[in-house]
Amino acid sequence: MNASTSQDRFCEELTALLPRLRRFARGLARDPADADDLCQQTVERALKSRQSWQDGTRLDAWVYRIMRNQWIDEVRARTRRSQTFTHEEEGANIGAPGDLAAENLVELGNVGRALARLPEEQREAVILVLVEGFAYKEAAEIIGVPQGTLTSRLGRGREALLRELGEIA
Amino acid sequence: MTVSDDEFTAYVDGELTGAEAQRVAAAIAGDPALASRLEAQQRLRALLRGHLDPVAVEPVPESLTQMIAAAAAEDAERDMTDTKQHEPARVLDFAAARARRDDQVRAARPPRLTLPRWWGTGAAIAASLVLGLFFGMRVADDGASVTSGGALVASGMLAKGLDEKLASANEPGKLRILTSFRREDGNYCRVYDAGASSGIACKDAQGWILQRTVANGAPERGAYRQAGSAAGELMAAAQTMAIGEPLDAAQERAARREKWNK
Repeated sequence: MNASTSQDRFCEELTALLPRLRRFARGLARDPADADDLCQQTVERALKSRQSWQDGTRLDAWVYRIMRNQWIDEVRARTRRSQTFTHEEEGANIGAPGDLAAENLVELGNVGRALARLPEEQREAVILVLVEGFAYKEAAEIIGVPQGTLTSRLGRGREALLRELGEIA
Repeated sequence: MTVSDDEFTAYVDGELTGAEAQRVAAAIAGDPALASRLEAQQRLRALLRGHLDPVAVEPVPESLTQMIAAAAAEDAERDMTDTKQHEPARVLDFAAARARRDDQVRAARPPRLTLPRWWGTGAAIAASLVLGLFFGMRVADDGASVTSGGALVASGMLAKGLDEKLASANEPGKLRILTSFRREDGNYCRVYDAGASSGIACKDAQGWILQRTVANGAPERGAYRQAGSAAGELMAAAQTMAIGEPLDAAQERAARREKWNK
């Protein structure tokens, strides 16, 4: 009925979300330029599918899911690319795809480095709950896994970070 | 009283409420080891946020806000189109809007000039264009003569203007499009003003067929009034020929993309 109101609200809310979306993008992608690209692609996708957003539901979780899926696609594409160009043995040592070059790791500082070393699935769980402040249930929905899976990934990620940052944390 | 790891973590993450939360809080208060684990968890959270929060206070790139603003504008434009499609459900609103529009047209109308009843928003815009045009313009010295009948096909600058100009764009030049609409056979038609003469042209396989042309008036006394009524006549004729509302800006652009082929 009030199509225009809901569309207006969508665009307003999306604009208001941008700072948080940029923070999440940086957490996932780590590299600022990659994060900007990710943000751009996410907003494009969100706008394209804005008709499918149900007014009255949480827009943030909806857009975070788009961003998270977009990032996973990107990670997979990079994995394919790196596997094409390296031998399998070397590939195994390349680390998590999307990982930063060594010189960038230095600039990240202790916290950034510790986060960067986490496997993708633990990092997204840690960021969604500890930084973005989502409840377990919401974070699990964004990632698309059962809540138990989310909490176990979160637990392992948290342990690893505490081990690594033990002396400062 | 014992607290499981899961319970403890859930408490740390704010997942517990009420009695459960109170129970864990009490356990932590009575157990220094638990209390220091809680502190470590809180410091970890603070470290992570300290690392990423600065991104959230950076200025947002304009490309992002602009992308959203463009989409919002698109929605607004589509809404105007949608509104027309839903017209039957909103008859009352439309009747009221039409009455207001008629009042505005009457108020804007100079004495002794009769304008037809406009048939929609697009025409209301066109009406103001007509008024602006004919009361502000200088009538050309070589006032063209009236022609009608036969299949006159527009050529040269007229054909080009009919192909390219938009009624919504107030583009400079001698040719102005007052409104565009669809005729019963689905062909696109446009009311134009070419300075010395005005007319209605409809696009078919041969090109822009001039349905009707009128001279805008000789440079005599009273020419302005004649010019005004000529345009009024054309708009009235257009209203009779048209099915539905005149094209809005978006529809006009879409029709132009299709080279005005139905």
